[in-house]
Amino acid sequence: MTNWNSVKWLLYLALYLIPVFLLPWAVSRSWVHQRGGTVRYSPKQLFERGELGLLSLVLACGGIWHVLGSTYAPHTIAVASVLLAMGGIMAMTVWVETFCRQRSGTDWHPRRAWRDSRSLALFVFSMAAVVEILLDRLSRVGAQ
Amino acid sequence: MSAPAVALAPRQSRIVVVRLADSAEAIGALSLIYGALLAIFPVSFPNLIVKSWERGELLPVLMLFTFLLDTGLYLRIAQRLSAKPGMMAAACLGSLPLLVVGGASFIQQKAVKYTLTSEWPNLHARVGEEILAHTYLALVAAVFLPFLAIRLLQQFKNTV
Repeated sequence: MTNWNSVKWLLYLALYLIPVFLLPWAVSRSWVHQRGGTVRYSPKQLFERGELGLLSLVLACGGIWHVLGSTYAPHTIAVASVLLAMGGIMAMTVWVETFCRQRSGTDWHPRRAWRDSRSLALFVFSMAAVVEILLDRLSRVGAQ
Repeated sequence: MSAPAVALAPRQSRIVVVRLADSAEAIGALSLIYGALLAIFPVSFPNLIVKSWERGELLPVLMLFTFLLDTGLYLRIAQRLSAKPGMMAAACLGSLPLLVVGGASFIQQKAVKYTLTSEWPNLHARVGEEILAHTYLALVAAVFLPFLAIRLLQQFKNTV
């Protein structure tokens, strides 16, 4: 039977999505509006230097924090945490590489930075989503 | 060399340069499918995985699936870039998915043993959840780690 507990993981996903993707976009719109501008920045323009990768690390940290507090076996906690951390670090590296390329005058491609950071953000987000579903299932098993 | 001679000379195709984003997209899709199956079939899908683990079929199926997925992904990248597959990448893709799934299976056995010796209630269901989590983590690791190894080796080769 569907109850609050069975859809709780959806709330966690929303908590991940809102600060990472929606909040920066909404703040940029508000900033433009306050200054009387008419420009609308798309998420692609907003995150074209690979900032999405940087935010993915924040998202991965949230997932790791949740896994560490679970009742899974220590082996499972270790593997899940390491994989989430690796995804987050690799996503952050896109931003670091783009920043270094831009500052050092080496050729940098906004399209490639956007594509790489978007793909790695999808990886971290979808992994955090599945981890939340698994954690939700485990908590229901524990409550039985 | 004259311009027509250059045009007629066989073009030297370059080696595939792998980017982590290529494997990240595949893992993202795989994760969303796994998550959707868990959400849509909360009983039958986990039962299928646990039963196949009990019959000893899960490990070879995972090995075959990840090996084929990694190879397909690499060949797709090679085709998109019109580049030829490298020996180093072939060696990584031939061995790493099998090694990673094998290693993940070893850790899974340890986690199941640990759970069975614990004093949690509802042990059978808890073991099932451990198997479900490890199956997913093995899938992610077996796609991500070989491509990460290839990427790091390529960068190392460029700097040396």
